Amino acid sequence: MALLEVEGLTRFFGGLRAVGDLSFSVGEGEILGLIGPNGAGKTTVFNLMTGFVQPSAGRIRLDGKSVVGLRPHAVARRGIARTFQIVKPFPGLTVKENVTLAAFLRQPARRDAETAALEILSRVGLAHRAGELAIQLTLMDQKRLELAKALATGPRLLLLDEPMGGLNPSEVDVASRLVEEIRRGGVTVILVEHVMRAIMRISDRVLVVNQGEKIAEGLPAQVVQEPAVLAAYFGKRGA
Amino acid sequence: MNRRLAPWLAGAIALAVLPALAPNSFFLHVAILILMWTLLGAAWNVLGGFAGQVSFGHAALFGIGAYVTMILYLKAGLAPWWGIPVGGLAAALVSLPIGLVCFRLRGPYFSLATLAVAEIVKLVALNWETVTNGPVGFLITGLPPVSLFGASVDWESKLPFYAVAALLALAGLASTAWLRSSRLGAYLVAIRENEDAAEAVGIDTVRAKVLTLALSAFLAGMGGGFYAFYFRYIDPDAVLNISLSMEMVFIAMVGGLGTVGGPLVGAIFLTVVGESVRERFQVGHLIFYGLFMMLAIRYMPEGIWGRAQRLASRFLPKVPGHGAA
Amino acid sequence: METFAQSLTSGLLTGALYAMIGIGLTVVFGVMRIINLAHGEMVMLGMFGAFWGQALWKLDPFLSLLLWVPVMFVGGMLVYRLLLRKIIPGGELNTLLYTAGLSLLIANLALFAWTGDYRTINLSYGQEPVRPFGISIAVPLAVAFVVALAITASLWLFLSRTDLGRAIRATSQNGEAAILMGVDVERVAMITFGLGTALAGAAGVLLAPSLYLYPTVGELLIVKCFVIVVLGGLGSVPGAIAGGLLLGVVESLGAVYVSSTYKDGIGFVLFLIVLLYRPSGLFGVGK
Repeated sequence: MALLEVEGLTRFFGGLRAVGDLSFSVGEGEILGLIGPNGAGKTTVFNLMTGFVQPSAGRIRLDGKSVVGLRPHAVARRGIARTFQIVKPFPGLTVKENVTLAAFLRQPARRDAETAALEILSRVGLAHRAGELAIQLTLMDQKRLELAKALATGPRLLLLDEPMGGLNPSEVDVASRLVEEIRRGGVTVILVEHVMRAIMRISDRVLVVNQGEKIAEGLPAQVVQEPAVLAAYFGKRGA
Repeated sequence: MNRRLAPWLAGAIALAVLPALAPNSFFLHVAILILMWTLLGAAWNVLGGFAGQVSFGHAALFGIGAYVTMILYLKAGLAPWWGIPVGGLAAALVSLPIGLVCFRLRGPYFSLATLAVAEIVKLVALNWETVTNGPVGFLITGLPPVSLFGASVDWESKLPFYAVAALLALAGLASTAWLRSSRLGAYLVAIRENEDAAEAVGIDTVRAKVLTLALSAFLAGMGGGFYAFYFRYIDPDAVLNISLSMEMVFIAMVGGLGTVGGPLVGAIFLTVVGESVRERFQVGHLIFYGLFMMLAIRYMPEGIWGRAQRLASRFLPKVPGHGAA
Repeated sequence: METFAQSLTSGLLTGALYAMIGIGLTVVFGVMRIINLAHGEMVMLGMFGAFWGQALWKLDPFLSLLLWVPVMFVGGMLVYRLLLRKIIPGGELNTLLYTAGLSLLIANLALFAWTGDYRTINLSYGQEPVRPFGISIAVPLAVAFVVALAITASLWLFLSRTDLGRAIRATSQNGEAAILMGVDVERVAMITFGLGTALAGAAGVLLAPSLYLYPTVGELLIVKCFVIVVLGGLGSVPGAIAGGLLLGVVESLGAVYVSSTYKDGIGFVLFLIVLLYRPSGLFGVGK
């Protein structure tokens, strides 16, 4: 049984169908790349999977158990964590406090939570900034913090929403290696990205969506050559 | 450990000694008012300052505590030391459905909902005559004969009320201090900083807010119960008035939102101002509340105590450990 | 059936005045994202303006509109310019609390100056109701309704046909884009606040002959006002109109068919229901 099974996922916003009959699964330990043009519905899929938005129809199962209808905190407790495209730190708090709050989910005692937080901060390379305020960080570090918060909740499945946006190529490489390390640590990853360099390098499989529907699925190298995918990105003539 | 307890010990001693120094019973009366408003300001501060949920309907919780305590005393003879906590519990219980309804909303929508709820509670009290006596209200004519440590309690003197008020005020401030250092308090900070992020990292934001509201309601309800016994008369206009809600907000704001000592400072400041002008203005003391509220937000948004702390931290050496009160 | 028609009519008439109050609040929210808790006091000032106009200068309340509307318009602009402008950058919460303080200040200054005694305005031509189609309508309310319609219609024209009106709507829809388009957003904000205040004051003047007047009436009005604007969707003028009419009708019918003592409460319950199930309002304009 796959770690995550999504069947017929659909979401309407009034008359607009943001996600339509989307089905896919993710195996444990995979890195699944999720790509598609802007407005394709990728962030909506994440919102649906983490309880920020309720599906109009469809099933989402983690380890065989449905997570539909749960509020975001309950989904996090089940083991799905996410980062936000535009990072959402706790701005007035320090880096360490930010991650400790997330660590409370699995470590109710403050001291244990702080220890766990510091350990995660080292893993993402932010330990030296533990005492700084979140709003004072550089963009790259803010993304590390966003990742650290998600990791601190001890997830089975991690949803990364365009983590590489705004990073230069060497930062993208650093970030990609970090994601691979996270996978090695036993966390399954779904990565939404526009930065193809990262997707091609680290994804095991790639899923392409356009206008809320799946239009291709398979190995990275194959998928980017499919006519439907090229048409989606470049228009019919570009295919 | 000692450094943290010191202010509490000092405060308790000061409170114990104060009556001996009081020149007359009016002074004690003002002290009692200050203590009661400290409790109420602390109650509001728990929800407004720590959870960041601005309620304009706290009078409802105060009033429920007052009515429950009053009714249980008059109809069932339940003595004040039981009645007041029971009043608090009643308010906390009622706050649960209120919270469930209102916390679905955020920011100003939440505040407006609390206004509506408070008005509904007031209407119910005005019209449900069989239970609440409607606009007529309730009057206590005699308090129970009781003895403490062998001496019988003289309800005519202000002293017993002062003692109860002092205990309640300390309880209010202590609850706030506890909240601040607890995990729930940390969750509240997270919710204030970014509610979506808090949910995303596994914090049950609704539960946190509901629990905090229950604590806030408990404190406010006890304040209402105390009011019933001290003033001995309650009616919907006296205990369910929107201006009571506003006074609680003002005390917490002017004193210092989100601080432990703020409500005490706010209560002292506003009560002194209120009592000084009461002769000239009667109900008009609220003019000054409004005015000081506006001035505070414009010039001192962190409140008197908040500003004092900020100044102090600049001049005093840094000490590691918990933040200032 | 006659009772139904009667209470429906009276509900619509009152509702139109409610709508005017609601429009004032919602238009300010739309442009500045602030909820003015002192709005009820603006209505109260209009009411007392009409009262004192008649008591001191024998001025007919409906005529006194010509005096009070400009006065309140300027007054509103001054409140914005001198008081609110510095507060708004401090955030929604601070601004909300500031207007709460302002509300308390104004209401209690009025209480101090004029005492809490209930006042009424008696109009010589208002003693006998008119009876179109067998439905009895009090004259002052009927006149108020007609004038309110006229004011709302001119407001509509203003917002849709004039440049300033368009600037207001643009700022309401997207403040940043409006700035980029060259709209003087500060000026628009100031004028809108003046407009909202003037509308509130006008509603107060119009309502004055039909109600008991007392300085703390703002408390009750502001809550009703929120019911209206939330029902209709914060920021939506048509929403405020619909919300006002709806509230007026619900209260009126509720008083007759449910309970006259809980009449005010019906609106609040409706409010909570809407907030819970359709928080962006019946017209879905939203936050």
